[in-house]
Amino acid sequence: MDTKKEELYFVHNTPVPETPAPGQKPEPWQQTQMVGQRRARVDGYERVSGTAAYPSDVILPKMLYAAILRCPHPHATVKKVDTSAAVKMPGVHAVISGMTPATNPVWNYRTWEGHLKKSKLFDPHCRFEGDTVAAVAAETPYQAQDALRNIDVTYDVLPYVSDYRKALDTGTPNIHAEGNQVGQPQTQERGDVAQGFAEADVVLEETYYTACEIHTPLELHGCLANWDGDRLTVWESTQGVYAVQATIAEVLELPLSKVRVIGHYMGGGFGSKGDTSKYSIIAALLAQKTGRPVKLFLTREETYLATGNRPSSHMTLKAGVKKDGRLTAMEFTAIGASGAYPAGGTSLLDWLIKDLYTCPNVRTHTTDVYINAGPARPFRAPGHPQCAWALEQMMDALAEAIAMDPIKLRLQNIPDFSQARPGNPPYTTTGYKQCLEEGATQFGWQQLRKKYAANKKDGNWLRGVGVAGSSWFLGNGFGPATIILKLYADGSVNLNMGASDIGTGTKTIMAMVVAEELGIKPEAIQIEHADTGTTQFASVSGGSKTVPTEAPAVRDAAITVKRRLLEMAAEDLKSKPTDLSLKNGKVFIKNNPSKAMPITAVAKLKQHHVIVGVGNRGPRPTDKTVIPFAAQFCEVAVNAHTGEVQILRFLGAHDSGRVMNRLTYDNQVFGGITMGIGLATTEKRVLDHNHTGKMVNRSWHEYKLPTSMDVPADMQSVPIEIPDDVANTTGAKGLGEPVTIPTAAVVANAIYNATGIRVTETPVNAVQLSQLLAQHRKEG
Amino acid sequence: MLPNFAYTRPDTLKEAVKQLGSEEARLHAGGTDLLGCLRDGVFSAQKVVSISKLDALRGITKTSKGGLEIGTLTTITAVAEHPLIQSDFTALANAAGEVASPQLRNQGTLGGNICQKPRCWYYRGEFDCLRKGGDTCYAAEGENQYHCLFGSDDTCFIVHPSDTAPALTVLDAQVRIAGRWRKKTVPIDSFFVLPADDVQKETILGADDIVTEIVLPPPPAGIKSSYCKVRARRSWDFALAGIALALAFNDAKVAHARVVLSGAAPIPWRSMAAEEAIMGQELTPDIISKAATAAVKDAEPLAQNGYKVPLFKGLVEQELAKMKV
Ligand SMILES: Cc1cc2nc3c(=O)[nH]c(=O)nc-3n(C[C@H](O)[C@H](O)[C@H](O)COP(=O)(O)OP(=O)(O)OC[C@H]3O[C@@H](n4cnc5c(N)ncnc54)[C@H](O)[C@@H]3O)c2cc1C
Ligand code: SF4
Repeated sequence: MDTKKEELYFVHNTPVPETPAPGQKPEPWQQTQMVGQRRARVDGYERVSGTAAYPSDVILPKMLYAAILRCPHPHATVKKVDTSAAVKMPGVHAVISGMTPATNPVWNYRTWEGHLKKSKLFDPHCRFEGDTVAAVAAETPYQAQDALRNIDVTYDVLPYVSDYRKALDTGTPNIHAEGNQVGQPQTQERGDVAQGFAEADVVLEETYYTACEIHTPLELHGCLANWDGDRLTVWESTQGVYAVQATIAEVLELPLSKVRVIGHYMGGGFGSKGDTSKYSIIAALLAQKTGRPVKLFLTREETYLATGNRPSSHMTLKAGVKKDGRLTAMEFTAIGASGAYPAGGTSLLDWLIKDLYTCPNVRTHTTDVYINAGPARPFRAPGHPQCAWALEQMMDALAEAIAMDPIKLRLQNIPDFSQARPGNPPYTTTGYKQCLEEGATQFGWQQLRKKYAANKKDGNWLRGVGVAGSSWFLGNGFGPATIILKLYADGSVNLNMGASDIGTGTKTIMAMVVAEELGIKPEAIQIEHADTGTTQFASVSGGSKTVPTEAPAVRDAAITVKRRLLEMAAEDLKSKPTDLSLKNGKVFIKNNPSKAMPITAVAKLKQHHVIVGVGNRGPRPTDKTVIPFAAQFCEVAVNAHTGEVQILRFLGAHDSGRVMNRLTYDNQVFGGITMGIGLATTEKRVLDHNHTGKMVNRSWHEYKLPTSMDVPADMQSVPIEIPDDVANTTGAKGLGEPVTIPTAAVVANAIYNATGIRVTETPVNAVQLSQLLAQHRKEG
Repeated sequence: MLPNFAYTRPDTLKEAVKQLGSEEARLHAGGTDLLGCLRDGVFSAQKVVSISKLDALRGITKTSKGGLEIGTLTTITAVAEHPLIQSDFTALANAAGEVASPQLRNQGTLGGNICQKPRCWYYRGEFDCLRKGGDTCYAAEGENQYHCLFGSDDTCFIVHPSDTAPALTVLDAQVRIAGRWRKKTVPIDSFFVLPADDVQKETILGADDIVTEIVLPPPPAGIKSSYCKVRARRSWDFALAGIALALAFNDAKVAHARVVLSGAAPIPWRSMAAEEAIMGQELTPDIISKAATAAVKDAEPLAQNGYKVPLFKGLVEQELAKMKV
């Protein structure tokens, strides 16, 4: 019977790492058995077959549907909300607005300086198209929408500013009392920039723009709220259940213990579901008022307006280089748009300028402004892809100006410490050189550059190749982590973790860590996660933090369980725990392996039925900084007549430390490249600047995401695997954001290689290129 | 969300025409455009009349003289995949294959494709513009990067969204229409309406008119036709610029020419100037270049769509060069 369980749950003939003595740090993994393999997702079947219940799938008895009335103007004051007709409509159970004080709590937002500023859930001063004005709960979604149409709002329509480049002009309407500048412009300087430019052999200057990109996760934003007495349960599509719990508790003045937020499955989040939105509060209030569960999922149109974006940016970069390839100075000036509220319009926009390359003299100056449009939200690597768009095109141009290969120029300037951080801490590991070199080899860089230097033409098409690199400022995660692992008497395991799996494969990777440490099959591990009622605090799954934050805590929990198990087995085997080891589902004495017993036979385990191990994220190094690096390569073809762009091939070489699961690793690389192709070639929010300030491309087909036809089938992931054992006990660094940072710049550099045209503004497709090609022909 | 409406699915053409005569009735073929318009509040409907039961209006048949009759309900996929259309009416097969996405081509019909509503984002959005009965065109001085170069009459600047319409135009197609009082057949180039004639209509159809068939005459001997489309992304996107060509040659000289542009004007835009430039000529690089220049000579670009001038030029050059014998 016991042997049968072993067959079932334990992996055979693979060693399990030794168990460190209490208080001792585990050794870095050497030869891993499970970690690093290609493993399909532990919940893949559920997700693909449709049995996985996402928050938008959850239905409760007597549930009502809510909908939000949003301001149709980019800037207006609500004078009056007349809900008298709406409340009488069939199926309508409640209507709330700024006119109903009991359901209009204080809603804080954080100023640029980090202070909390009081506003209201329904603020009469609407600062963007899509601001919240009223909400209804009704028996069907249709009745809720019909009721919205029958709410009569009197607006005082105010002048607006929609163009961020004009936000600070005199005469533009003020969006906040303090004006349209968000906090203070930021200036950072090191060295002597003027001197640096004087020393340069070549100085180039260029202005670059990136268009505003909208968040479009596949599952819409929303939640379902249900009260049970004074306890509130919310099922929400979120990147962090604890963040939602904290905001709801604060706004509704509830103890944390009374707010349970569940987000087991969620259909994608790239930063927009890291913040808590007003809809969660509205759903809770409507549920309270009606005494019924209330489901509130936004429409796609609402998400375009109200749930965040990667802000547009306008960047001027001047850079100087010596003939031998040493950078002498860089000066970067940028404007970004937070939108209607302080939202990091320029956050991290200058980071790569300050940190990616060795450069003694650097000045950056960034200004964040308000405009009457939906506030920004973190968007996969905030600031970085925009900055790479400028910096990495500049590196390409500098290389050409000094007749040096662009890879060589980059290799000349790789630092081994962080120049942007106070105290200039060294990097724990730096794989940038290998990313560039190994990537170039696998891509065939030298051959292709030579080939296209000789002849770019391929019928009507011009071919070229490009490269760009980057780092991501945060490689070791953030926040604490507490994991609870239970080993059951039959040898199966339950893993309890607060973190959300936002589609990146978190659950699978954590199961692989447990499997590695205990020699158990991942299928025998049950995972409970992202539920504030049953798991422990976890920070939001964002900033590429989940693996480097949670995986070490999972490893720690597994080791704790292992230790306890060996202690128990030591009693049976009349031995010392430190003399014991684990293999094939058996505990044995190290120097007498014939003395062994199945785990399931350990007496104390049989008696207690469970071993509980708590694991924590250990401290992070303070004297060093942990940074992932990347280099990407692509090949394009541009139609010489029409400016159509075809991206033929992409390669991503990434140093994110240890590869935890090769399959989900490659998924991230391909997904990040796909998203970057959107920034490069198709995506752009269009506001009607001249008449109304409203967003005009508020639909799936007008707001153009790349389709599968726009993304090359030929994509290659080349992991540069340098386990970072100083960073954490798993050696992994963040991956989810680095993968999208250089992509757009790679495309631009390849287009330049193909056409000789420097495209400084996103998106690049036939709209821009047809005109630029014609100009180029004219100028010869 | 969709408004409330009554739904009917008549058994006969006659009944369908009758139903369409009632207040704010809308014809529903594949629904891919209609339902989008209703959901987005572009217009409303009190009654939706589905013609999907009218099986006689579905299918492709060869006429005795070697032409084709295509029932209005024939799906765009069926048009794109039909061997005879591919070989003898290539422009139409090309164009149908370029429409939208596979799902939309499977559901959308050929009749619906030529009757679809414009895609101007003001028209589709919460803007009460001229075409919807308001008093301003927002595009004229607004976000007009996807708007027209020709035929606006300074009134409305839409481009006709259909890919199949320019192909049908170069093939000299005829449209059969059944209405309350009559049945009639019109050449496709008099089927579409310019803003100068009626800014709220895209076709000559009355509220209770139904397109029943699209008729392709037998192709002139030796004709070659094609359709090529440029867009901002490679699927699920309307034309920034497109060109349908139908040419026949006498020796190497052009003996028959139809050049029709899409993404250019409120209707499929026949470029007589380009046709004249090539008629009777060999397609030498010089002639091709002249034709390309002629095609855009009268363009009236707006603030943001100036790129379409070189784009059309490049496209005309590329496509004429492919036709060269
Ligand atoms: C996202 C998207 C992208 C698209 N991209 C393209 C594209 O790239 N190229 C392109 O050409 N098209 C494109 N389309 C349009 C699509 O091809 C049309 O929606 C489709 O062909 C319409 O056919 P249907 O049968 O679904 O028409 P319906 O939606 O049923 O009808 C469309 C309109 O025509 C009227 N109508 C339909 N049939 C008749 C008839 N027999 N007589 C009189 N009136 C009639 C209807 O009343 C309605 O107003 C796109 C559509 C969408 C939604
Ligand atoms: S171009 Fe035509 S449809 Fe568009 S806003 Fe102007 S009038 Fe309306």
